[in-house]
Amino acid sequence: MSVQGAKADTRPIDTRTGKPIGPIAQPGYYPGFSTLSQQKFWDARTREVILDRVNNVPEIRFFSGQEASLLEAICGRVLPQDDRDKSRKIPIVAQIDKRLYEDSHDGYRYEDMPPDREAFQLGLRAVEELARHQYGRGYLEIGPREQDEILLSLHDGTPAAAHEIWKRMPVGRFWMLLVSDCVDAYYSHPWAWDEIGFGGPAYPRAYMRLEHGEAEPWESEEKRYEWKAPDSSVSGEFKPVAGQAEHLGSPGQGGTH
Amino acid sequence: MKSPILGEFQAPDGKPHMLGSIQRIETPMHRFNEADEVDYVIVGVGAGGGVLLQRLARAGFRVIGFDAGPFWDTERDWVSDEKGSHQLYWNDMRITAGKEPLAFGANNSGKGVGGGTVHWASFTPRLHPSDFRIHSTDGVGVDWPMPYSDLKPYYELMELELPVSGPSYYPWGDPHGYPYGPHPMGGVGDALIRGCTSLGIGVSAGGPVAILSGSRADRPHCIYRGFCIQGCKVGAKASTLITHVPDAIGNGAEIRPNCMVSRIHASAGPRVTGVTYFDPEGRERFQKAKAVVVAGYSIETPRLLLNSACPGFENGLANSSDCVGRYLMAQAGNVVLGRFEELVRMYKAPPAHALTEEFYETDPKRDFARGFAIQTVGPLPISFARQMMTAKGAWGWGLRGVMMDYNHWAAFGFLGEILPHADNRVQLAEEKDRLGIPIAKITFNLYDNDKKLIEFGKNKTMEVMWAAGAHEVVQEARYAHLVGAARMGENPETSVVDQFGRTHDIANLFICDGSVMPTQGSANPGLTIMALAARTADYLIAEGQDIFNKPRNGNIRKPPMRRDLSPPDTWGHGMPRI
Repeated sequence: MSVQGAKADTRPIDTRTGKPIGPIAQPGYYPGFSTLSQQKFWDARTREVILDRVNNVPEIRFFSGQEASLLEAICGRVLPQDDRDKSRKIPIVAQIDKRLYEDSHDGYRYEDMPPDREAFQLGLRAVEELARHQYGRGYLEIGPREQDEILLSLHDGTPAAAHEIWKRMPVGRFWMLLVSDCVDAYYSHPWAWDEIGFGGPAYPRAYMRLEHGEAEPWESEEKRYEWKAPDSSVSGEFKPVAGQAEHLGSPGQGGTH
Repeated sequence: MKSPILGEFQAPDGKPHMLGSIQRIETPMHRFNEADEVDYVIVGVGAGGGVLLQRLARAGFRVIGFDAGPFWDTERDWVSDEKGSHQLYWNDMRITAGKEPLAFGANNSGKGVGGGTVHWASFTPRLHPSDFRIHSTDGVGVDWPMPYSDLKPYYELMELELPVSGPSYYPWGDPHGYPYGPHPMGGVGDALIRGCTSLGIGVSAGGPVAILSGSRADRPHCIYRGFCIQGCKVGAKASTLITHVPDAIGNGAEIRPNCMVSRIHASAGPRVTGVTYFDPEGRERFQKAKAVVVAGYSIETPRLLLNSACPGFENGLANSSDCVGRYLMAQAGNVVLGRFEELVRMYKAPPAHALTEEFYETDPKRDFARGFAIQTVGPLPISFARQMMTAKGAWGWGLRGVMMDYNHWAAFGFLGEILPHADNRVQLAEEKDRLGIPIAKITFNLYDNDKKLIEFGKNKTMEVMWAAGAHEVVQEARYAHLVGAARMGENPETSVVDQFGRTHDIANLFICDGSVMPTQGSANPGLTIMALAARTADYLIAEGQDIFNKPRNGNIRKPPMRRDLSPPDTWGHGMPRI
């Protein structure tokens, strides 16, 4: 397989104009909507917690510099932000590092999994091994499409190398752990809420327009545009996670009923 | 029996301790001396422990409620934020195993005063009369050692004490009505009503949920902010933290928060004499008690009993039947997600606001026993993104894209009865927690009836979502709730406790939480746990000093109902006649 040039455009494409989108301050269909602009209507403790998340990005304390760079590249494909302004990218690796440094977790571990810290270190080694096995170069040196292909092989449960590591840790479980951690960091950030039109905290003010998807007076109407993933990516299509139904169970979303 | 009140309840920083946006604790709190032999130690102040603590205190017993987590100040400690609510859940490590390993933590386990009721969505349906005799009628599972009619008055009582909002006529099981009016609909409830109605399926709108639809005393009505399972800062959603614990403290109970009980002590008799616990600073301490009630829910209760093994009780306390830890149940809780052309905005309104129990009972036309419910759920962004990972296999740009459509999706929760199996169980792992206590290992598998039920129920729920007008429907397999693992029964060889929660083996050791349930139906378990707790309380109060002094007698006398022990102004208000 040939290695694609590292300069391939990694921005999503506006399908009407065929032009790349961004980088812009706020992708999504709710331009101008800002949950943070409503912070004076939040209770004090909520405001404190959310502003701390936005303003104080934790230092890297758990991962080595090398591990952090590798994870940065991986998270950049798991949850790509190439359409976002540099100043408006949501920190993901810093949040994962913080969690692992504090050894915080969801209150359970699958019997066939090592503890999360070890799982991340093993997973990083495996991704690097896969890059060298498939492309003869490190993960940081290959192009975005090749990077995606490696992640897709984890998603599909068919990694071509690092079999010793996958004996100690089922590939599907590592994949779910990785994506969950990226999701937790990204979608806990108010900039992501603005992107998807989520109203955010509403205590003590309340929501009052509950039906028919109606916006509160301070929320925005949806303004859709059509777009697709860049050609440099394979993550725009939906494929079931390999073996999910049989082996993986739920990644542990909260008790919703 | 009450001693003079000592000490004063105060939040650490001197500010008033808030329980919801209006209610505050200003009552001085009694503090017992460790050398005092109290009447009851209750381990865990959740759904069961909270209700029991309140009643025992009101009846004049000297009682301490231990909780491994904090005594929440809802204004200071809680946030309207998914990630920031991580602390509400039982996050100490557990090992999950089996072919269908269960998720714990946020999925089903609370930590702190109020326990799981702090983060429940608060659907509060009753069990059906049929649930109490599924072995007799369907040849599956096991019968309860009591009929529905014994629990019914306690259901009515709890529906008033919480109180529950819902329709004035609820048609399923034993038909009944609710004291508070139904909630207004949100987008997900509208979808469930639309889907069910177009298929000719009955549906209940606006409840039953333990969320106030109108203000009541020092609790305001719901503000529809959608963060129910992140802890209700408003104080509209019931939790024992705000409904029962304040009354318990006002009547002389002590809450000992951030104290992890590691062992119950047993002596010859056999009788239990007290508990060893770790105080907030991690020091090991002992509290003497005339009787001990374990109320730690389906994982921590068996874990504590097994960890309390000692000479004479080599397999753990109350475990002569080898049933401690066995017959653990979770409900099938697949989430079915549908995308609509129009906007839904499912983060508004409580996740729990409409449901159908039309498929609850065994239907001879189907190839499995028992049934399921279909309920609204309202995942917030992180939960929804995790669901999209499994339901659609989304990641990368696909995930970003589907998340931009968050406001177009609605979610239903299928809630299916899984039968009790001896091999679905809690055991001790070799690994230890930070206090040196062996952690729990949980094994969970599905069996034939469970698999058939899930397949049918999942498809039916998807059918309802299609009928609601969705143009894409996907689903994620998961499990909701826990019960069992210390089940009640008449036969001491096949069960751990009797119908009042008294262990067969030790006369002054009780269990009061969801772990005593022999089967689970397809109703959310919270209300049943509370009803059982109120009934256990009546039994303990009726037996009085005999609990502390006398050996276990085989006599199961139904105690008189003590409605006078309800928190003030709850009993006798607003229950419609059916």
